[in-house]
Amino acid sequence: MDLGNLGIQPNSDPNGSKDHVSHMALDIGGTLIKLVYFSRNCECSVEDKEDKPSNDSLLVSNDHKKFQLLKGSFHFAKFETSKINDCLEFIQCNQLHFSGCKHHGDPTNDKCIIKATGGGAHKYGDLFKEKLGICLDKEDEMDCLVAGANFLLKAVHEEAFTYINGQKEFLQIDHDDLYPYLLVNIGSGVSMIKVDGDSKFERVSGTNVGGGTFWGLGRLLTKCKTFDELLELSHQGNNRVIDMLVGDIYGGMDYAKIGLSSMTIASSFGKAISDNKELEDYKPEDISRSLLRMISNNIGQISYLNALRFGLKRIFFGGFFIRGHAYTMDTISVAVNFWSKGEAKALFLRHEGFLGALGAFVSYEKHGFDDLMVRQLVHQSPVSAQDGGYKIHGSQNGELKDNESIECSVYVS
Amino acid sequence: MHGIPATLAFNDKIPYTRPTITVAGWVRKQRVSEVGVQRILGLMASLSEDPVVLGINDIKEKKEEETEIDNNNNKEHIDKVVVIGREEGQSGGGGQCGERDMAHPTGNPIHRSGSRPQLDLSKAAIQGNFEERNPTILLPNQSDDISHLALDIGGSLIKLVYFSRHEDHSVNDKRKKIVKERLGVSNGNRRSYPILGGRLHFVKFETNKLNECLDFISSKQLHRAGLDSRWHPESPANENAIIKATGGGAYKFADLFKERLGVSLDKEDEMDCLVAGANFLLKAIRHEAFTHMEGQKEFFQIDQNDLFPYLLVNIGSGVSMIKVDGDGKFQRVSGTNVGGGTYWGLGRLLTKCKSFDELLELSQRGDNRTIDMLVGDIYGGMDYSKIGLSASTIASSFGKAISENKELEDYRPEDISLSLLRMISYNIGQISYLNALRFGIKRIFFGGFFIRGHAYTMDTISFAVHFWSKGEAQAMFLRHEGFLGALGAFMSYEKHGLDDLMVHHLVERFPMGAPYTGGKIHGPPLGNLNEKISWMEKFVRKGNEIIAPVPMAPPGTTGLGGFEVPSSKGGTLRSDASALNVGVLHLVPTLEVFPLLRDPKTYEPNTIDLADHSELDYWFTVLSDHLPDLVDKAVASEGGTDDAKRRGDAFARAFSAHLARLMEEPAAYGKLGLANLLELREECLREFQFVDAYRSIKQRENEASLAVLPDLLMDLDSMSEETRLLMLIEGVLAANIFDWGSRACVDLYHKGTIIEIYRMSRNKMQRPWRVDDFDVFKERMLGSGDKKPSQHKRALLFVDNTGADIVLGMLPLARELLRRGTEVVLVANSLPALNDVTAMELPDIVAEAAKHCDILRRAAEAGGLLVDAMVSNIDGSRENSSSVPLMVVENGCGSPCIDLRQVSSELAAAAKEADLIILEGMGRALHTNFNAKFKCDALKLAMVKNQRLAEKLIKGNIYDCVCRYEPAN
Repeated sequence: MDLGNLGIQPNSDPNGSKDHVSHMALDIGGTLIKLVYFSRNCECSVEDKEDKPSNDSLLVSNDHKKFQLLKGSFHFAKFETSKINDCLEFIQCNQLHFSGCKHHGDPTNDKCIIKATGGGAHKYGDLFKEKLGICLDKEDEMDCLVAGANFLLKAVHEEAFTYINGQKEFLQIDHDDLYPYLLVNIGSGVSMIKVDGDSKFERVSGTNVGGGTFWGLGRLLTKCKTFDELLELSHQGNNRVIDMLVGDIYGGMDYAKIGLSSMTIASSFGKAISDNKELEDYKPEDISRSLLRMISNNIGQISYLNALRFGLKRIFFGGFFIRGHAYTMDTISVAVNFWSKGEAKALFLRHEGFLGALGAFVSYEKHGFDDLMVRQLVHQSPVSAQDGGYKIHGSQNGELKDNESIECSVYVS
Repeated sequence: MHGIPATLAFNDKIPYTRPTITVAGWVRKQRVSEVGVQRILGLMASLSEDPVVLGINDIKEKKEEETEIDNNNNKEHIDKVVVIGREEGQSGGGGQCGERDMAHPTGNPIHRSGSRPQLDLSKAAIQGNFEERNPTILLPNQSDDISHLALDIGGSLIKLVYFSRHEDHSVNDKRKKIVKERLGVSNGNRRSYPILGGRLHFVKFETNKLNECLDFISSKQLHRAGLDSRWHPESPANENAIIKATGGGAYKFADLFKERLGVSLDKEDEMDCLVAGANFLLKAIRHEAFTHMEGQKEFFQIDQNDLFPYLLVNIGSGVSMIKVDGDGKFQRVSGTNVGGGTYWGLGRLLTKCKSFDELLELSQRGDNRTIDMLVGDIYGGMDYSKIGLSASTIASSFGKAISENKELEDYRPEDISLSLLRMISYNIGQISYLNALRFGIKRIFFGGFFIRGHAYTMDTISFAVHFWSKGEAQAMFLRHEGFLGALGAFMSYEKHGLDDLMVHHLVERFPMGAPYTGGKIHGPPLGNLNEKISWMEKFVRKGNEIIAPVPMAPPGTTGLGGFEVPSSKGGTLRSDASALNVGVLHLVPTLEVFPLLRDPKTYEPNTIDLADHSELDYWFTVLSDHLPDLVDKAVASEGGTDDAKRRGDAFARAFSAHLARLMEEPAAYGKLGLANLLELREECLREFQFVDAYRSIKQRENEASLAVLPDLLMDLDSMSEETRLLMLIEGVLAANIFDWGSRACVDLYHKGTIIEIYRMSRNKMQRPWRVDDFDVFKERMLGSGDKKPSQHKRALLFVDNTGADIVLGMLPLARELLRRGTEVVLVANSLPALNDVTAMELPDIVAEAAKHCDILRRAAEAGGLLVDAMVSNIDGSRENSSSVPLMVVENGCGSPCIDLRQVSSELAAAAKEADLIILEGMGRALHTNFNAKFKCDALKLAMVKNQRLAEKLIKGNIYDCVCRYEPAN
């Protein structure tokens, strides 16, 4: 199975010993469950200026603190929310839930608490309690998204990239010049968040036309079994069969006066009205393509309008709808470019799907509940040239190798 | 004599009972006062000497005779109509009027034969439907063969706007000529070229049924310079006719139009047209815009000075968003490809619906929660309140379709349709708001055929705008939403004068079978009145069974035009609660705003707002109850022939259908006030060619009243000035009891003669009246102490009913004013409404009255009312010229009420020097204008003949009186 790693070696432990799993966080969305967990490769101590009791200083200062450096990897996994049992099994198999709540090495504590976000953290709280005996500590979804994005943008090298005409271009964004930005998280629905700093943000907009719409409508129209199958189809599609283009209305001519070329989509699915064709007469590929363009374009437009409203130059798109899918990113980029007349840029994140889960993970620190602090991420592998983005398949088999990881070092006091 | 005790009881309640007399066998206690005796003696004398007074039995006996007279009148009238028909090149058969104009034959034969100088009624908003042959006013560029037709050919629908001319028979009317000379009536417009009087029609077709559209145009010869060429068969068919068109199809189908109709389409830019159309509608049509929140429509009149900038969102197949800064000043700032085409296209694929309307209709029964993923679905039923999302907010449209193992077939088409509709409407609302925000625009107007007056669509868009703007921006809709482009294309013909039109020049009418937009139904192409009646008989049932008033085409019988046949529903009519009707726009360039309104901007004619559903219910019942009686009268007025009965029946069906439609959707015809409803009834009568339903009754009452007038005048003349003024006002109020529109009064008619009723009514006059400003008025008229006030220069008397009301009430009052040196202008209806006196009838009545009164005679002569009158046998010596004139002007309408925003130019001219207005009667002083404020002194006089109105308006009872005086300042 193709994993498409992140360009970061998943498991670089030379010993090949089973990693010690330390921490886990969940993002349970309407469509997918995203899971992030950390596994240690080694430990070593780092001494700050002087020794101090470990529990008093996190919220104040870490100048006088003793840290323990943990080296390890972030691992990412996802499951369909409708198959939540797979997820529970996966957690159980890997004993992830024994790590969430406590300091190293006390697996008997049955009052496990795991950070979770997304609507499902509320909805499935009881199920987790019942099946795994763990409590989900609900973190606010927006908090997590923002924390996750800020974390990635600051800590991971070349996390952000533009996608124009099929070309990815990675950008390293100066930390001082990061804020404010617009974060567009495209999940089942879409949230648009203006981020002004660490945990300084506001949900300014959103739309109900999102990934769920693509998949939902797509399923009804094409009988595809999975989201990825639907996306795959769109590659071979031709939306002109279904969409009404400016040229269709103007007899093949541009509507130059207002700057619409004959190829501009005037009305998505607009051709489906005038033909005497039924659903069966359309190729699923074309439908999928048309749908994808409609939704991507729409999200791009609304995002741009919101960015404009607040004078934001950068728009980061994340969430599972994108999945590094070239055509999706291309359409969104084109939309932003078109509506902003080239003044705004659509940016994408390599770990787009895991913003919430990462944010939940980071929140362990924030709440002082645990003593984990991510200090830096270490790229151990230069395999960043790997093409085409990555795909994440439903991890029904629950195997670790289906997922990616980020090698990193963290300090634990 | 049932019912009389009630009258007695009424009297008994009053502690001070005025002297009454024995009339027709009923007796009352009397308490005598001198004044009363004097008056009564006078009246008694007149009564006993009056041979014309009819008892109840007499009425029956005379009926046959009158019917004969009516028949004669009627024949004469029909003859006239047929002549017109022939002139117009028609072969109108028999007594049927030969109408060709489809779908809106109001067929009002204006040229009634009459002994008096005929009024030119063509200024009135209501018009005969014959296209103008007589080129009194021509399109300046008519020779260019530019037709009066414009098209908007969109991806899904073709919208068509066309213009038909009014008859305009200017004026050989002496009265009118004199009025003009005396009052200096201009032609109503002071423009470099004249505005055409005529009508704008709105029709739509599906683009994929283009041939039906071509057939329609061809059958009506719209492509040949409108209809004019029809009357000029000698003029060669111009091969180079040009029609303005917009929309993408103007390019795509240009060849087809050339081939089929021999016309070239002159392509107008789509955006130009949209903006021109919207600007025209917002400026020229009253209450064109409305908001729609949670099912409630609220109409707005937007101040022209505060119109710009606005965002115009046109939702066609795709969506255009245009920032409009002024006439011809605009910019397309945004748009979206998710629009009406997306809704229909996706909807067709998902539901197998055959038409857009079917899909829309499905959505009304849908539940989108089965398909959409709601915030509650994600959060386990909880709100995500932190960011203000309630559990029922849609998080992801169609989001539920992913997680379940259901296939397309497992979802109800209704739910899919609603989910789709919500998704698209919400999205459009959001993007529109974001664009409005960007440019600091408060108002967003949504138009285009996607909306179609559909409640869910409008609500969803409104909700989206409200939600995202946190209530700061407002989504507004346009009644003529689908026709922006076509109207704009029409506007692009140069020099049609349309852009000079003002709100007060336009009157909208809703004839049966008018092209119906905003919904799924198109009017059938009814060729003439006969076809319309047949259609009514077949498809519109009487009474409560009617579920939709607006005609659908009978299957198989329509050869023309994109009129959908309700294939699945047979002959039944579909209800379409949310869509709005679009009527025919009558352009009446001579209408003006009444110049004496203190603040025309805030003036609202209607006292009763029928947006209150209980009010609507009540008036619906009143009008329904009154309908059979009205039909009887109407049929009798046309001689009771079979044809008249058939038309009467059709009228009843049509009017019931209108009422049913309005009950279903009070805003269907725009903002609805009681005045509109009452006018609708009159229009409907005229539509079925009932020229004057109360003709014979009016005549009879006039005669009866005129017979007693001399004694009344003598009586009055014997009184002191002060007593006389009171008696006059009292007389007006008492005589105002005659009203065939009031149920209570119609009941009265069955109990006695009008003179009896008048006397009874007079006897009930008790001061203080329920609203009683008489003393203030008296002081203004007579002064107090030694101070003698200056007399009014000119008084406008808005008169009400025929019979006692005008003859024994208003004329004596007019006489008093004349005697005091005040010019008097009697303002009467242009067209009949109930038993209201018309401007055409007044000169006769005045002439008759003048026979017995020198004051009236001299004034009438001075006012030009007696030019060719038979009273000239009274030796009219030259001293007359010194008299102040008594004049008659028409008010420009044919309704029992009056909307002072749209009055005739002669009334407007007469008003310029007037310093006293007297409004009389329920229709003009209570239903409308009760709260109107004027620049000059105003007196409002009426007897309330409706219990509910009495309670509501003056906290009184039926037969209470209103004497409201409001001085100029």
